[in-house]
Parts: sequence; structure tokens; C-alpha cells
Amino acid sequence: MVTNTRALLGDEIVEQVSALVEAVFDGLGPLATQAGGLFAGESPPSAADLERLRPLVLDALSGVHGLVVGAGFIAAPHALADQELGFEWWTATGDTQPRQLFISLDPSSDHFLDYTRQSWFTVPRDTGRRHITGPYVDYLCTDEYTLTFTVPVRAGGTFAGVVGSDVYVRELERLLQRRLRGLPGRAALVNTQGRVIVSNTPRQPAGSLVRAFDIPAWWGSGAEPVSEPDTTLRRCGDAPIALLVAR
Amino acid sequence: MPERISLSARTAMFAPLDQTGRVEAVTKRLVDAITLGLLADEEQLPSEAELAGQFGVSTVTVREALMALRQQGLVETRRGRTGGSFVRAPKDGQAASLRERLRGLSLTDLRDVGDHYLAVAGAAAKLAAERSSAEDVERLELATDDLRGATGAEASRAERHFHLEVAAAAQSPRLTQQEVQLQGELGALLWLHTGEHAEQARDEHRAITDAIADADAERARRLTEEHILAAIDRLAELHLGLLEP
Repeated sequence: MVTNTRALLGDEIVEQVSALVEAVFDGLGPLATQAGGLFAGESPPSAADLERLRPLVLDALSGVHGLVVGAGFIAAPHALADQELGFEWWTATGDTQPRQLFISLDPSSDHFLDYTRQSWFTVPRDTGRRHITGPYVDYLCTDEYTLTFTVPVRAGGTFAGVVGSDVYVRELERLLQRRLRGLPGRAALVNTQGRVIVSNTPRQPAGSLVRAFDIPAWWGSGAEPVSEPDTTLRRCGDAPIALLVAR
Repeated sequence: MPERISLSARTAMFAPLDQTGRVEAVTKRLVDAITLGLLADEEQLPSEAELAGQFGVSTVTVREALMALRQQGLVETRRGRTGGSFVRAPKDGQAASLRERLRGLSLTDLRDVGDHYLAVAGAAAKLAAERSSAEDVERLELATDDLRGATGAEASRAERHFHLEVAAAAQSPRLTQQEVQLQGELGALLWLHTGEHAEQARDEHRAITDAIADADAERARRLTEEHILAAIDRLAELHLGLLEP
């Protein structure tokens, strides 16, 4: 195996992906700070206090060239003073006005929405780190093929919830396809599970799993760049996204 | 353990309606949502303006629909600062209302919607087997275990949730939306009696999950089709039974 960054293919797309990912996470920064502040006081905030996050939620929603289609804060169970769960989440697509997401969060209700199994919630909670979930079918919110960017919110060492942004896979494709097509051979952006986010070939569509190369094992062992005559595999900056080019 | 209802099912309940028979259509959606348990007892409905926005109808239409619901005792309106419209789920009327719906079906319609559901759920299982990562399989396993010791409405919800997870694991928004829509049409009826044989249903879900984990697309599809076909047959028999004098 030859490891030589200068010889690697795809500098431009790798930098573009990395910059996009950082821009989406950066867009969540002020919201994460304010959400943390809400939980920093003597007593925890009430569900109604989450409304104070609204201006920064709407800011996050309007950032990154319209790429972000959903944004907000989701509270950890029992983080709020007056109810077990709660959130301030807004969605907007195209020219529609942002809309607040309404659902029942009464845990005693039969129809309580349990988000504690969703990776966008569990991974930041369990690792303390930012996370990109997907691509996945977001059946809890948009019903679309989505990437969800989440950042844990902590206060006094306790996990208080996550702030997050949703991005549609098709919009990423629009932004990234041109550069992918410029690469020699079959090129795809994949997540840590080896799932294709965008590819330049119909034979490996978004959502499919790369089986020719063990991507999860590669991530698990440090994600060092691979440059072989027929395969290039490299991480996009600090993002949990890799570029795979096969000739 | 907490129970869940997919938000998308609820979103489908609030999807915009076309122009015809709007009051009736809004009323029927809300009646179904309440009797099928998509809206919980005591749950506060969104405001008239919000409902109107969600359904894509006027507030007058929503107001008339709410009046019809009040007359049926399915909604209570309270005044004052903490006022609004609140769901009053029928305490024992649910089963009766479902039975009425089942009696009203025809075998012709049941076969047709059953075929549609088989096509959607079978294709979803096949694609899920081709596309599921370890993380997807883990969620399917959790959803399978939801049937452990489940009875009644809880078992029915666990069924619906499992098939929703399969559609999501197929990485297909369209199949997921179809799954949700068909569950809205059929789900509460189709899985009405899961609670009576939850262990068997759980075994079947586990076998489907195993086939998906093994990336065996044809087995996943066949097992899913058999699982659903059995439920449709049961429903058809139930329907015929209701017709007997």
C-alpha cells in the first residue's frame, strides 16, 4: 500500500466536502452555545424557555446556501424542568416559510415519540462528539433521504440534548456531482458504514453499500489514505465521509 | 417501555387534502386518527389555524370538522388561557369502530389493497437485505423485540413500527411513504390481532431480520410476503365472520 497524500486523487472534492460539513456544523455553533447557556443556570429551563432558541434556530436554517432544511434543539430526557422531553425544531424547504414541528411528547401517551433510538441522538450522547447520521430515510420528520448533523449540548458535565441540522442528500448531490464526474473512474462519497452518499455511476447509487472494500474496517483502523493503482480511498478532512475512487 | 408512533404516520394524517368534501375529509382523518390511536387521549390538537395550514384548508372547514368531532364526543373544547381542543379517545368504542370499518370493506378492495401492500413491503424487504448496514440491522432487532410480551394496541404498533423500519432500511423514501400510507389505510385493521399471537409474530420478524442481516434478498422478500399474506387472510376471514347473521 502506498500512502502519499500528494499523489492522491480528488483534492478538490475532498476539500469541498470538508468545507461543506464544517460550514453546516459551524452554523450550529451559536445555537449550541445558547442551548448550553439555557441549561447552565441554577435551575433547568422549562419547555416554554426553549422558545428563546428560536431566532438562532431560524439562523441555522437559513445558512449554508439553503442547504439546511431542518434545524433545532432536542432535549435529553428529564433535562427540562416541567416535562420529560421537548424540542424546538423548524423545517423549511424551497420558498416555504419555516414551520415549527409539532408532535406529542407526553411520555404517558400511547403515541409518545421515542427518539432515543435514533443515531442522531444516541451517538452525540454516548460519544460526546458531533455526528453525521445517514444518509437515511428520516421518517420521524421529513420523510426524505437525509443527512442529519448533530452536536451534543452539555451543561455542567451533563448531557442536555443535541442541536442539529438536516440536509437533503439530493441537494448535496447537486453541489458535488460535477466534481465527482470530473474524477477518472467510478467515484463515490461514502459514510463510515460504506453507504454511498453521492456517486458518479448508476451502478453504485446513493443508499447502496460498497461491498468491494471493507469501509467500516478501514474507518475502524484509522482511515489512513489508500492509494493503489486501482483504488483511492481518503477521508474528507475531519468529516465522517470518505472519497472512494475505483478505476 | 415507552411506546412510539412514527411521526410520519402522523404527518400523513395532516397531509393536504384535495378540494372535494373537505369538511368530511378532515373529519374522517381526525376520526380515524383518534379511533386508531394516532392521536392520544387528552392530547391537545394544534390550533384551528395550524390545522388549517397542515391540511391545506380554510379555518372555517377545520371549525366545522371540529364541531362534528365534538358532536361525536371525540374532541372536547376548553376555554380560557389553557384552552383549546383536546382529544377524547373512546374508552371502549375503539374495537367497535374498527369492526365497523372491517364489516364495511369488500373482499375485492381487501385483495387489492393487500396486493399493493405485499408489493411495497416485499420490495422494501428485498432492498433492505441488499442495503442494510450493521446499524440498520440493530434497529430491526430492537423493533423485533418490541413484540416481546406485547398485547393489544401495543402489539399492533410494534408490527407497524417493524415494517416501517424495514422500509427505512431499504433506503427508500418512497417505499417508506407508501408503507406509512398503507398503514394508515390498513394498519390498524391488519395488525388488530397481532397481540393474540405476539410470540409467533416476533419469530416471523426475527426470521425476516435474519434474512436481511444475511443480505438474502429473496428470503427476506418471501418471508415478508408470507407474514403479510397471513395477516390479510386473517382479516378476510374476520370480515366474512362479521357478515354472518
